[in-house]
Amino acid sequence: MMKQTISFTDILAMTLHDTKNSLGILFNNLEDIIAGCRAENCARHSDFYTLQYEIQRLNHSLIRLLSLYKAEKSQLAVNIDYHAASDLLEEAGASHEVLLASRNITLLTQCEEDLFWAFDRSLIEGVVDNVINNAFRYAKTAVKISATQENEYFVLKIEDDGAGYPPGMLINVEKQPGIKQEIDFQTGSTGLGLYFSMMVADMHTNRDKKGFISIVNGGSLGGGVFSIYLP
Amino acid sequence: MEQTKKPQINLKTKKVLIVDDFFNFRLTLKNMMRSLGIMYIDDAANGEEAVRKIAARRYDIILCDYNLGPGKSGQQVLEEGKFRGHINYSSIFVMITAENTQEMVMGAMEYQPDAYLVKPFAKEVLEKRIRNIAAKKLNIKNIETAIADNDFDHALRVCDELMAQNPRNLSEIMKLKGEVLLKKADYKGAAEFYDKILQRGNVGWAQLGRGRADLMMGNYESAREIFENIIAQNDKIMPAYDYLARTLIKMNDPQEAQNVLMKATEISPRALLRHKYLGKLAYRNEDFSTAENSFKAAVEQGKNSCFKSPEDYTGLARTLVQRAAPQEGLKVLGKVFKEFPDRNDTRLHVSIAESFAYHAMNKTAEARRALTKAQKSAAELADNIPRELALSLAQAYMMAGGIDEGTAIIKNIVSSHHDDEEMLADVRTVFKEMDMAEQGEELISTTRDEIISLNNEGVALARGGKLSEAIIYFEKAAAHLPENKIINANAAHVLMLDMKEKGATEDGLARAKGYLDRVHKIDESYIDYAMLITMYRELSSGVQ
Repeated sequence: MMKQTISFTDILAMTLHDTKNSLGILFNNLEDIIAGCRAENCARHSDFYTLQYEIQRLNHSLIRLLSLYKAEKSQLAVNIDYHAASDLLEEAGASHEVLLASRNITLLTQCEEDLFWAFDRSLIEGVVDNVINNAFRYAKTAVKISATQENEYFVLKIEDDGAGYPPGMLINVEKQPGIKQEIDFQTGSTGLGLYFSMMVADMHTNRDKKGFISIVNGGSLGGGVFSIYLP
Repeated sequence: MEQTKKPQINLKTKKVLIVDDFFNFRLTLKNMMRSLGIMYIDDAANGEEAVRKIAARRYDIILCDYNLGPGKSGQQVLEEGKFRGHINYSSIFVMITAENTQEMVMGAMEYQPDAYLVKPFAKEVLEKRIRNIAAKKLNIKNIETAIADNDFDHALRVCDELMAQNPRNLSEIMKLKGEVLLKKADYKGAAEFYDKILQRGNVGWAQLGRGRADLMMGNYESAREIFENIIAQNDKIMPAYDYLARTLIKMNDPQEAQNVLMKATEISPRALLRHKYLGKLAYRNEDFSTAENSFKAAVEQGKNSCFKSPEDYTGLARTLVQRAAPQEGLKVLGKVFKEFPDRNDTRLHVSIAESFAYHAMNKTAEARRALTKAQKSAAELADNIPRELALSLAQAYMMAGGIDEGTAIIKNIVSSHHDDEEMLADVRTVFKEMDMAEQGEELISTTRDEIISLNNEGVALARGGKLSEAIIYFEKAAAHLPENKIINANAAHVLMLDMKEKGATEDGLARAKGYLDRVHKIDESYIDYAMLITMYRELSSGVQ
């Protein structure tokens, strides 16, 4: 007997899983094709990168959506462990470098080798992937990821040399903990991405402190600056 | 970025195994590996094939999908490989998953992969992961070999040296250090170490370690609070349930322990060892419907697991007898020989359980025949009968009218485990099922008193300064009761007290160590073990 209690959101989640699997196969097949093209010196092989970029964007959206779905169902648990910041940055670099390079954007990473922090790696990776994917569209020549310790917080910063965020999207310019800002969902997927980042920051607590994000313009590259602060 | 001296790892000579049920994905992975210059690449399309290949050849790198369709899962491939020693700390095992790792439950630490990788990933990411893991394995090697040699002090020294250098895998080394402190029975040291880590963040494994230290030190209230907290924060950290259940048993609340494990099996249904334990616990709690479900799950999951055992079947059969379905129980037992053809205790397991089923069916002749078979198998196994099986055999005797034989066996068990509450609970269950609850209580309390006064007499000798006599006394007692941890611990203790006065001898040290090893084997959380082993180390360092 089939159980009749299955809800539409569950169906949606299952479909998302399925779609994600197909995307995975698509992504890897495309990578094989690109590798083949490159070997044959095919002139248009770089066009494929745009395709791959969109696949990756879709994939990140799905991961984000699934995480939000689990958070809604209170199934999203944080899995805190110590990680080397350099590990996180190196891997983010490895997964985005090729795509960024196809648009002549240089990816810079910067952190102290002995910087360690306790955080949920896959959640933070999700945030970083989202922001870098955005920067891919707006950066002119460079994207920079850096990790530092400021006071009692671990700060992960993603900067670009684009035109910067529109004024309506700036968040927590004073970089103060404890400030909650409404998000404008008119901005579509960007709004969802921000919502996800805020949720992830909020899920990181230590003693009485909570994580938070900030979005400003300027920074060392003169464009948009996204930061996530973790206690 | 600042470059530090990272060891260069040559991947080209590595042997690789790729496990995935999709041909397409195996091909993709193979291409990725080839592009890294790797020549030796095998693949397997399912868990069974993977286990066979891992047993036949040492792979340096195993890339394994978590979900392999019907049959063994990626996790079971890893467990079996580690359990059988085919995958050791120098092999790299990467678990590939279709979804975020948060979806997956955290199992026992010793059966975790080196990394999880979520599909899809670029080959640059895979390469970086493998190189990072390989580099990390290099510095951990010395710690792992020291642990394998039981040289905990050396392992701790290596941990401290490495931690001072802030390597990339700092977290892993800290994890190991905590484990070594617990293994060494330095529970206070472990608690302090974990507290220091927890000041900097709510790291799950550190909370778990802190709770384990409390459990070992007998601080059950505080251990319980810690484990409950961990589950409240993240209900997928499965070891927390197991330790919480153990704590509750110690707190004499088997019903709550059962509830905890039932919740755990709801969250993580694929965990054979937990089902097995839950089955036994529920049986003892007389919740036979839960026991039946758990043993059924254990039998079902055992088909793909290296943790299967005849007890899963006999447990189910005995539960079915309690559920007034002995016929079904016999059917279950009929499958055991096919499942365990090579074990020398299979016949004993089956025969005992058969005698229970026939007894319930009032088939006295068949029950007697089964018992005779069990008797013969037990004689062949001589002293190598696990205590739980011995208890079942005793009950089978009693059912067939051999009250004296059965009671004698049980008395023997109680004298060896007079302070093991779980064992005593099983003994009580047996007597209850025989409608002899009072006699059982009587046997337990008199036996316990005998052992206590036996022990006290020896202690009095030692306290009165008659150490030589105390040594003779305890060594004789330990020869009779090789499985009684207190008697063995005291035999070691008086030997060492004597050496403290007169100087250590090699023979004395060897004998003391023999008793200490027994204690640790019987109960690795024995409360005085840490003190005794420290005393032993001090004495033996004096000899060198």
